[in-house]
Amino acid sequence: MTGRGGIGLNLFAAAMAAFLVLPIAAVVPAAFSQSSFIRLPPEAWSLRWWHVFLADPSWRRALVKSIEVATWAAALSVVAGTAAALGIARLRGTARRLALALFVGPVVVPVIVLAVALYALARSTGMVGTTAGLVIAHTMLALPYVALNVGVSLGMLDPRLGLAAAGLGASPWRVFRTVTLPLIRPGVLGGAVFAFVTSFDEVVLSIFLAGPTVKTLPVRIWEEIRIEYTPVVAVAATVMIALALAAAGASRLFRRRAA
Amino acid sequence: MSTVRFAGVSRRFLEITALHPTDLEVRDGEFLTLLGPSGSGKTTLLTICAGYLPPSGGRLFVGGRDVTDLAPRHRNIGMVFQNYALFPHMTVFENVAYGLRVRRVAAQELARRVGEALRMVQLDGFADRPVPMLSGGQQQRVALARAMVIEPDILLMDEPLGALDRQLRKEVQLEIRRMHVARPRTTIYVTHDQEEALVMSDRIAVMRAGRIVQAGSGRDLYERPADAFVARFLGESNLVAGTVQSLGDGRAVLAAPGIARPIAGRAAPGLAAGARAAALIRPEALRPEAGGLSARIVERVYLGELAALRLVLEGGHELWCRCFSAAAPGEDKVEIGWDATAVSILPEVNEP
Amino acid sequence: MSAAQNAPGKPASGTPAAAAFATLFLLLPAGLVLGAAFLLPLARLFGLSGSMPAGVLAPYLELLGDDVYRKVFFNTVFFAIVVTAVTLVLGYPLALALARMRAGWRALFLLAVLMPLWISVLVRTFSWMLLLERNGPINRALIASGLTDTPMSLLFNKTGVLIGMVHVLLPYAVLPIFGAILRIDPALLRASEGLGAPRHVTFRRVLLPLSMRGVATAATFVFLLSLGFFITPALLGGASEITLSMLVENLVNERLAWPLAAAASVILLALTLALLAVAGRFLSPAAVAGVGR
Repeated sequence: MTGRGGIGLNLFAAAMAAFLVLPIAAVVPAAFSQSSFIRLPPEAWSLRWWHVFLADPSWRRALVKSIEVATWAAALSVVAGTAAALGIARLRGTARRLALALFVGPVVVPVIVLAVALYALARSTGMVGTTAGLVIAHTMLALPYVALNVGVSLGMLDPRLGLAAAGLGASPWRVFRTVTLPLIRPGVLGGAVFAFVTSFDEVVLSIFLAGPTVKTLPVRIWEEIRIEYTPVVAVAATVMIALALAAAGASRLFRRRAA
Repeated sequence: MSTVRFAGVSRRFLEITALHPTDLEVRDGEFLTLLGPSGSGKTTLLTICAGYLPPSGGRLFVGGRDVTDLAPRHRNIGMVFQNYALFPHMTVFENVAYGLRVRRVAAQELARRVGEALRMVQLDGFADRPVPMLSGGQQQRVALARAMVIEPDILLMDEPLGALDRQLRKEVQLEIRRMHVARPRTTIYVTHDQEEALVMSDRIAVMRAGRIVQAGSGRDLYERPADAFVARFLGESNLVAGTVQSLGDGRAVLAAPGIARPIAGRAAPGLAAGARAAALIRPEALRPEAGGLSARIVERVYLGELAALRLVLEGGHELWCRCFSAAAPGEDKVEIGWDATAVSILPEVNEP
Repeated sequence: MSAAQNAPGKPASGTPAAAAFATLFLLLPAGLVLGAAFLLPLARLFGLSGSMPAGVLAPYLELLGDDVYRKVFFNTVFFAIVVTAVTLVLGYPLALALARMRAGWRALFLLAVLMPLWISVLVRTFSWMLLLERNGPINRALIASGLTDTPMSLLFNKTGVLIGMVHVLLPYAVLPIFGAILRIDPALLRASEGLGAPRHVTFRRVLLPLSMRGVATAATFVFLLSLGFFITPALLGGASEITLSMLVENLVNERLAWPLAAAASVILLALTLALLAVAGRFLSPAAVAGVGR
């Protein structure tokens, strides 16, 4: 751009960056509070609420369930999403537009609508309060992102590479395994991390589909906030931040390796 | 008066010196071309003149006024960018009118001047076209009209014909030249194309590695190049390496290993007796000469009216000769000489 | 996505029928998931909305006729409009600053824009509950600075919802605008400047029109996401800031009024699709996907 931004513009950008990041960081000190209610910054520091979090089986179960559901959802959406991206790349014309519209669907339909619709169906099929129900719902939400992002990676691939491999006698499966997959791997891995975090962070669908014994961490937090919360919620929130940031770091790593 | 004077202007990018301290004066109404390979600093010099890049040192004067610290928008320059930089969301008319609107020119006057400018570049009737629908040549002419319509003190052009095909480029070269002759305006033109520079310029400044190596008319540069770099950059050249045998009175004699007779010619500045140097013998200066050096013709290239012949001398030197096709010797063994007034002895430069 | 037309995956050999079968096979798993967990539930919801004994349109008429529900629609659109306006006003200069920064600074600031997208909306909203409290840090800072004597009520009202939603949605406004500005050839701005235009003229006549697509994309995203926002208004809003999505949740979980809930969902969906149809001219599926992370 011509001219560097003025000092005013850069100061404004710094203020906005602070506005975006700092409020999120505010929960972290709250998790190390000594008192029974949340006050920022805490008057006395302690690990008291971390002990509570770890000692309470309901929190532990929720964390484990979150990871379990996110792992399944990530695995399913990567396999189905990558296959779908390859499939869409073979479509032309109207079929292609229809397929893309279907895949964009879960991204643009308001989550509350998806949640109520799924809840209505799950109630009548006995899927409410099951791990499978949560996994399917989260997969539905994450799969389109994986498919569209892998599609972008595929689009950047030189089509002659596949043709060259085929010309050398490779079968379609071998072409995929030895040429296509290695080249789109960053996109696939990035998609996997993305799907994991989408599931791990998801609240609205989970509130409706969770049951008394099957609760993810966000559902547990939601319930706690709605009644009366103690600093243990801040602990749970800090755990969620830490895991999400670890995933974000992993995804950056994949992208860097791709570059 | 729109003379442009660079006084010790230089530019560094971090540790890299893109432009060494440079002095250059462009006369009022002169068409000056900065000619050089990429990375020679010609675009840097132009960009400093436009004001988009502040110099690291030195001052810039336009019409005697120091404009070094003046923002581009106060300099009254017309710039034609490499890829034209036409506003894609505006019509041809709006693009050309832009600078006039900024200057708050009244509507009637504005329409008249835009119309005139479009006529000048032969685009009348295109006023309402969206810019992206124009061909490359048309876009180039819109860019020219946009730069000229504001009656700039200086016209700056940064490889404006680079994106055109060869045929079109030749036409536009002549068109720009005609416009300049009809209405001389101080112009600085950047190109790496020697032919373009020769066709259009009053004066050419050849640049290399951040320095102006030589400035002068096309003829000056061709006939009296300052060094082997300039000689190679303008026109075809045979360069024969050797050592300076004698020097004096503007003439020098070069002894070249493998060539029996010493080569005499005009001495370029910067020569020293006994130093390494190169003799420049233009291909058209070579001619058959009874009792000359014996040579073998190893390749003949037919160019129409002219023919190019590749000769190998007895000592192994290779020379290109250019002559009328009709006068080309038929046999492969020839004896050749050259017009001593067309030979220059040049200091050798280390090619990057 | 258009480049994907050339993507490998074209059948290297085989009959058209075999190729079609292979394509179908590749699309099958995703199709099953989306069919069972997206299309089918939505279709059923649509059916539910028409299941009232009083007739197919009865729930819609009830929703549109009642003042309480009209207030909910008003709230929803109000928040969407204000949040869109505020995020654009804050987002444009931020995007511009990003585009003008040197690479190193830009990476750092982009991180600040992208990082929040990885954190659950629930966590981000919870943070604001702590910050906006009556005795929270923001009120204490306001009092300490002398701007106010008594704590301001920032939580469980419109202010809280707006602050929270702007915070969560700002990145969605910044990214498309940033992309649009980056795609502008810097030579165009130089040309404008060289032709004598002051900064504000260059901004108004060149930069802004050329980044308008990005602004429109940003506005669409933020508006769409605002319309369907649930967690943030539910936690930061008060009893009078009920939005459409909160109403849906309430109808299902508290009042068990399924046809009404389904009808409200269909209305929300219709609003979304209508907006997308209008905006569809400048949005591509890739753009939608790109807004992720």
